Amino acid sequence: MPIVTPRFIDNAWRRGCDFVLLDLEDSVPQNRKAYARTLVKDAIPNVNKGGTEAFVRINHEHMQADTEAAVWPGLRRIKYPKTGTADEVRQLDAIITRMENERGIEPGSIEIDAGIETALAVTNVYDIAAASPRIKEFGATNGGYDMSRDLGVEMFVPYDQFVYLRGEAELAARALGLGVRAAPFVANTSGSVSDGNRALRLAEAACACGLRLGGGGLNPAVVESHNKGYTPSETDVRDAQWVLEQFERLQTGKEPWLEVEGRVIDRYEVERARETLDWAELCAARDREKAAAVARVQAAMAVPK
Amino acid sequence: MNNHLSRSWLLAAMSKPEAVATAAQSGADVVVLDLIEFVAETDQPAARQNVRAAIATVQADGPRVFVQTTPTTCDADLRAAVWPGLSGIVLSRAETAQQMQSVCNLLFLLEKERGLGEGAIDIVAALETARGNQDAYDVITASKRVCAVTLGRADLVMDLRPEPSGDLHLMPYLMERLIIVARAAGVTPLGAWWRAPDRGLLSTPENTLQAAKRGRAAGFKGALCLRANQVAPLNSIYA
Repeated sequence: MPIVTPRFIDNAWRRGCDFVLLDLEDSVPQNRKAYARTLVKDAIPNVNKGGTEAFVRINHEHMQADTEAAVWPGLRRIKYPKTGTADEVRQLDAIITRMENERGIEPGSIEIDAGIETALAVTNVYDIAAASPRIKEFGATNGGYDMSRDLGVEMFVPYDQFVYLRGEAELAARALGLGVRAAPFVANTSGSVSDGNRALRLAEAACACGLRLGGGGLNPAVVESHNKGYTPSETDVRDAQWVLEQFERLQTGKEPWLEVEGRVIDRYEVERARETLDWAELCAARDREKAAAVARVQAAMAVPK
Repeated sequence: MNNHLSRSWLLAAMSKPEAVATAAQSGADVVVLDLIEFVAETDQPAARQNVRAAIATVQADGPRVFVQTTPTTCDADLRAAVWPGLSGIVLSRAETAQQMQSVCNLLFLLEKERGLGEGAIDIVAALETARGNQDAYDVITASKRVCAVTLGRADLVMDLRPEPSGDLHLMPYLMERLIIVARAAGVTPLGAWWRAPDRGLLSTPENTLQAAKRGRAAGFKGALCLRANQVAPLNSIYA
């Protein structure tokens, strides 16, 4: 959200988001960039209070000034847009390291999210992903508008025009053991960024194919859809439990796999089932954490001065 | 690399004598005797003991014979299996050029020791991990023995689940990438284009036929399969 719009920032903690991206880039006009930088230090604890993590998106062309303005206690991640090369990531890493030291922040604690939004980035994608240990999650789900423009391809088409570049980024992430930021292809021919139903379908599809990192949204209307879609449904949980029960039977025998009701039960299915159950647990724990944080803030606000 | 007709590659678990016998009679161009993926750990020593005899029996029925092994078990597997009659190995979870070279060194020694011609044993690299796919070109070109490359069970090893389209997540990309790398390296790409909810273990002959048609269109020149009734569809499509 644009950091220069106080009503967005002041209400961010109520939105139930896992993270809020405080934007210094595209949503801030050029003549307000300097002013925007002065707002970051206070905005971070402001959004943190709902249990929400604070990320800051800097401007590609103002790496140093923006990063110096953004690295404060409570910041979790810097999003660096339009990454072109691994060298740029190493420069950013060095600035963050210096600011962490100056401001008493745990060294190495602030992550880098390297945005893959250009043809140059796709060409260098593996080197970019490997350029800093601060990159913990990686992918090219959010290529979106910038990528379309850079490549000269249309955005809202009924087929997957980014299959190659998304694959390149995801393979690099997986080969390096990073968190995979990816999304299945679900056509968006309407161009809407605030359609909660579409967001829910997309999040459910991502969750069903084992993807766990949401890409974020541009409108509060999609937050609940993301939270819900990325949480395994009761049906998924029951199915995972069924797979584990069947596997118990398998272990009593000697067979490496069984066919049960037309399905294969083997170690791969079991790993998936366990992962689904673990993920469901994590989702529930995170929901409790956020609800508790919101309740604390509300209780504090209710106390008469 | 020898030029053989290799449309269908049927895997048979060495712990299942009846599966090995069926595979020999299945009409598959290649039978892959599996020592590792479908053999319970406790059965693996026995599988190794029996593999030399099984190679001779299956080969006498016509198909070429490969054995399936992995970089972590290949020492024991290859010592048990490299005997006259064996045409090659499927190296499952192949990941690095270095692994490929050490497998080749072992094959070289065993070929010499057991009276096989130098370079007689081919390798099919099964790239089932992200690292193996990322470095595919280096892995494949690490040895002249590599005759073919496949994604094997990458969907399971990498946990790639179905997307709403019915394609397994990331697989269209991995398949296209594999075709390009295989052609650049001059080896044969093997595979079929499976879609959810099919898994090779249970897929019907009809669905195998569809997977083979898509696979052929994408550039694959033959495919591995897990059931004898999947052989005929592969032979007809990859002809």
